[in-house]
Amino acid sequence: MMDCAGYRKTLLADPHAADPALLLHRAGCHDCGLFTEQLLRFESRLERALRVPVPPGLAPVSAQVVPLRRPSPRRKWWAMAASVVAAGVVAGGLWLGASGSSLAADVVTHMGGEPQAWRRTDVPVPDAELRGVLQDSHISLAADAGVVSYANSCSFRGNQVPHLVIQTASGPVTVMVLLHEHVARSKRFDEQGYRGVIVPVAGHGSLAVLTRGASVDSAAVERIARRVQEAIVY
Amino acid sequence: MKDQVGGTQKRARFQALCQSLRPDLLRFALWLSRDRALAEDVVQETLLRAWKSQDSLQDEAAAKPWFLTIIRREYARSFERKRFVTVDVDELVAREEPMLAAADQQDLGELRAALFKLPEEYREPLVLQVLMGLSTAEIARELGLSNAAVLTRLFRARRRLRAMCGVDTSMDPPE
Repeated sequence: MMDCAGYRKTLLADPHAADPALLLHRAGCHDCGLFTEQLLRFESRLERALRVPVPPGLAPVSAQVVPLRRPSPRRKWWAMAASVVAAGVVAGGLWLGASGSSLAADVVTHMGGEPQAWRRTDVPVPDAELRGVLQDSHISLAADAGVVSYANSCSFRGNQVPHLVIQTASGPVTVMVLLHEHVARSKRFDEQGYRGVIVPVAGHGSLAVLTRGASVDSAAVERIARRVQEAIVY
Repeated sequence: MKDQVGGTQKRARFQALCQSLRPDLLRFALWLSRDRALAEDVVQETLLRAWKSQDSLQDEAAAKPWFLTIIRREYARSFERKRFVTVDVDELVAREEPMLAAADQQDLGELRAALFKLPEEYREPLVLQVLMGLSTAEIARELGLSNAAVLTRLFRARRRLRAMCGVDTSMDPPE
């Protein structure tokens, strides 16, 4: 049985660790629950702090490798190769700046653009509308997924992604099916009033599930994420 | 002709890979070196070396650790070339002030300065975990440490960082 010191030490080493023994301890320990919430808020700040703004492009790489004298064919080839890299880096500069932000931060930013999605309601979105959104991404939803009160096909990081709101006992939960965003492991976040998790889905990118406000704790969000994941048919 | 097209496609894919990884590689180099100019040099050299040896990258899924290995090697080489003597951390913080407290992120300035002051043995695994998304085992491989040693460093890194930032650490376990 894990004690509080062991739990907190493990979590300080990896705040997103999801070992069953950790979850079990957290579920039964109020203080460790508070510790986790505080640590995740700090972690969210830490992630933002590490993502320092980067300049859109580097000085042309070719400037370093193109010699002043007439280049030998071999050197010329390297210079050309370097120029291709440099040109790509410079041309892609603005795009890079945009893609440099974290996935969680982008998901949270996206939420701000559709506040109407968050209302608590029993009225489901019309079947045809939901089907249309899901079909755009070649997925479907099990009938027992819950009431889907909002469905939209949203532009996100250059792709169209299903943005759904499912009504649960804990309130509305937003789901973004991120078929093109691959993550190595689950990542919890608590940012700008949104609490959520991004979970990897083998062979199908990832899934972002988030709630708004402090009424649902991180463990509950993860439980909801698991249920949603099981309800999506890829 | 077919080979030429295949080669062009392969190069284009590699170029796209470089582009997508570059922001985080630059950030990693920056947190490693704590010097923006040096970080840019290291990343530039890294991209060139990567370009030259792109055939040795067999699996694109393993690209991130592959680039990280090159970048760490390049960073070590920069020491050989320049022979740095001592590092005054306060001076480093002052020098990089515009970046540490970017106008729209002033709330993060204190945390970034604290990261600068964190010893490298704690800072590097933390950046690999939080920024680069590496697992404990991947960090252990990259740094040549055991998993347990990595976890201890990560624990100490966060504990010290929180204390430096004035976070309430009354619930933190002792080192």
